[in-house]
Amino acid sequence: MNGSEIIPFPRNRLDKADLDLASTLQAMVEKEIVEKRLELKEDHQGLLAPSFAKIMWEIGLQKMFWPEEHGGEGHNSPAAAYTVAAALEQIARADVGLAFLAAHSLALQASLTLDGQGGEEACAAFAPLFCSGDRPLVVSFILPAFAEEEGVPEWRGKGFQARAKKEGDAWRVSGKNIRPTCSGLDADLFGAWCAVEGEEPAFILIPGDTPGIARGKELKKTGLAASRNADLASLEAKVPGTNCAWRGDGGAFRLLSWYYLGLAATASGALLANYEIIREWGDNRVIKGKDHIFKDNPLTAALMGEVAKDTSVVRLLAYELASMLAEPDAFGGNGSQALYTAALMIAHQACASAEYVINRTMELMASAGYAKEWQLERYWRDVKAMQCHLGAYELAKHDFARWFYRTVTL
Amino acid sequence: MRDIDDFTRPLEYISPMDGLLGSIFREWVEKEVLPYRRQFDEDYRDHHLIHPPFKKLLGEYGLQRMIFPEDLGGWGMGRSNYMCVAAFRMFEEIARADSGMALAFGALFWPFLFIALEPHENRRLLEEFAPMFCETTEPVFAALCMTEPQGGSDIENVEIVKGTTIQTTAVRDGDEWVINGHKLWPSNTGGLAKLMAVVCTTNPGSDDPRDIAVIFVKDDMPGVTQGPPYEKAGMAADMNSDIWFENVRVPLWYRAIGPGDDAKYFGEVMATGNMGIIAWISGAMMNIYERLTDYVNRKRYRGKPLKEDDGVAGLLADFAANIENIRIVGYQCARMCDRHDLYGPLWHPGLVAKMRAQRYLAMDRFIDVTGRVMNLMEAYGTDRDWDVEKHWRDLKILQLVEGSKQLCQIEVARWFYECETL
Ligand SMILES: Cc1cc2nc3c(=O)[nH]c(=O)nc-3n(C[C@H](O)[C@H](O)[C@H](O)COP(=O)(O)OP(=O)(O)OC[C@H]3O[C@@H](n4cnc5c(N)ncnc54)[C@H](O)[C@@H]3O)c2cc1C
Repeated sequence: MNGSEIIPFPRNRLDKADLDLASTLQAMVEKEIVEKRLELKEDHQGLLAPSFAKIMWEIGLQKMFWPEEHGGEGHNSPAAAYTVAAALEQIARADVGLAFLAAHSLALQASLTLDGQGGEEACAAFAPLFCSGDRPLVVSFILPAFAEEEGVPEWRGKGFQARAKKEGDAWRVSGKNIRPTCSGLDADLFGAWCAVEGEEPAFILIPGDTPGIARGKELKKTGLAASRNADLASLEAKVPGTNCAWRGDGGAFRLLSWYYLGLAATASGALLANYEIIREWGDNRVIKGKDHIFKDNPLTAALMGEVAKDTSVVRLLAYELASMLAEPDAFGGNGSQALYTAALMIAHQACASAEYVINRTMELMASAGYAKEWQLERYWRDVKAMQCHLGAYELAKHDFARWFYRTVTL
Repeated sequence: MRDIDDFTRPLEYISPMDGLLGSIFREWVEKEVLPYRRQFDEDYRDHHLIHPPFKKLLGEYGLQRMIFPEDLGGWGMGRSNYMCVAAFRMFEEIARADSGMALAFGALFWPFLFIALEPHENRRLLEEFAPMFCETTEPVFAALCMTEPQGGSDIENVEIVKGTTIQTTAVRDGDEWVINGHKLWPSNTGGLAKLMAVVCTTNPGSDDPRDIAVIFVKDDMPGVTQGPPYEKAGMAADMNSDIWFENVRVPLWYRAIGPGDDAKYFGEVMATGNMGIIAWISGAMMNIYERLTDYVNRKRYRGKPLKEDDGVAGLLADFAANIENIRIVGYQCARMCDRHDLYGPLWHPGLVAKMRAQRYLAMDRFIDVTGRVMNLMEAYGTDRDWDVEKHWRDLKILQLVEGSKQLCQIEVARWFYECETL
């Protein structure tokens, strides 16, 4: 049973093109990923990198937002939020890490291209990279994180990992021991949210082949195998002035709101896959030795019911966030703190629920849930890793308090 | 500076060997395990890195002998009334580095619980097997084979399912048992186990507990095949595989105790197994505490060390409070398993239910609070080099083995509310 069909979502709000894209992706990931999974497991070169290329390049998510005059598909109205949700859900059903990477690209595209937003210069400068290259572009962000040294300039309590300085028409971006959000090893384009001394912060795009980027070795980590992450031991890069996509919090809020939509939709996709796995288990497993079908046992059925409930709620929430981004003016406007806070809340809720639900599903499958062969454990690791990349919930709560209670010193 | 030894233990009843064991294990862990454990995941199939520390601990230090009687070359712990509190300390120390190793170590002794404890010590079998473990400096592993393809919980759920689902058969033929069947998952298999205790039925489909038989089988007997190790989310240091028994012939006296008693004393494995799980959780959490302390001292938020943020401190407190609680409760469980004079027999369903209750609660807390800690550490929480994610991955299985969480709940309800049909 395909979870996408039975788990509710606001189908009525999606247009035909969104639904068609979702089914194309569904068929593609089934063939390219699901069918090869047992053999290729989490092989980056053999399975994940080629699948990413198909998704971003052949199916074209990488060109989606860019204006037609720049070689893109011009799907750059706010309603594209539904497209993002529908696409990422299907990718995540097959591989959370691939959806996580795609979420980076889509968020950046949205933040640069949506109607009426700044960054036209960066848009013109960067569209060719996305639209006329010959391969998929891996996008990664450099966002504020906990600093280890004193005196690091902060954004919302955390230290900027990169600092930028104007040098004539160019920007010099520097930092050390930077942990990017993904793909430190492979990224073709870094988007760095940088401190600028005495001025508003700047979001600067740094192509991966810019001299001065020292990438460390691949990190071993919990999940998200599609993202081969590595620290940037040092960053000392000079880029043209047009690489500054925006200045000030509004742009960061806009980028992050779309990024959080991506993560919420990815969590929803992981839960659809989880639902499909437990559904098959519930139909076939017998317990208590008396032809007692698993799904008919009151204790396990209750848990399965909860899995379906939380999966549905996460899916509805992800689409609700899409609808907020599709009509931002009703929620404080694109790039507003109100919308950013809502997006952050929904992403956290989606990730926390996904973690909870998959944890409980593993209980239901006992050792099979823990064995790689049964696939479930991969979603568990991936979703947890994604939640960690979303940022500390303890501190996100401060963000919520800042907005809802207008805290003064927090 | 505070360290893990500041977490409370009930000093009134730690074992007389506690100090000695504690220092041996602490040193072994520091030297032989901690430097290598970040590479264990990739070593799941071969145990190139995992084998050497086991060789030292089990073979050279001789820990694999500890349950055997002294006159057979063992340490006589099976006859002591502090076996479980001593084990708790050992388990904690190992699990601080690697709970897969702790599980493999603990599971090594499960088969011997049937034959080394009073009042059902089986002297003949102890004499038969003691030399394998006591007269060598090589590590020797044993496995308890319960789980089958159709389900493990049912087999452990002796009280209600009464062995009706067991498909592995033991048929008497003269003075031998002929064993046929297929087991999944036993710890220490994948080619490691030299000796196995196999849970069989002597009468398929029977609901008479006297037909449940625990029979010892040596790995080199014709008809025994261990499959290749499974690939799992974690716990690489515990090897698990399929294992097939095809017309395996063993002497009749290889049966652990006898009709009725094999099923009855199965409860001892459940009680001590669940107690052990609490020790593994406690040990792993203490290591997470160490790594977390390092993290929150190093990292800064809003101009101060992370630990100085009031909101973050709330989570740090939750983590420490849970260790404090789980550790004390765990020692109390160990004590209950040791002191039959005070708490009743080790096999008793009431004791098993109490162990299950504490184990599943401890596990739920571990999952909740460690998940929150990983998230606090952001990307570093998923980083192998920070170790927290390893414990998180490794320990999840402790909610699922030895009877899953739901079986634990059912057994607890059955005991405390006297349910009759659960
Ligand atoms: C690392 C590791 C080590 C292991 N070591 C050993 C070992 O040494 N020896 C060994 O024999 N096995 C071992 N196992 C297997 C383990 O003990 C079993 O997986 C476990 O008992 C559950 O059995 P199962 O996986 O077959 O799931 P099932 O028994 O099919 O249970 C699946 C789910 O069904 C539900 N369920 C089952 N029965 C009931 C019930 N009566 N009431 C309500 N719900 C129920 C629960 O939700 C449960 O999680 C190990 C497994 C792992 C992963």
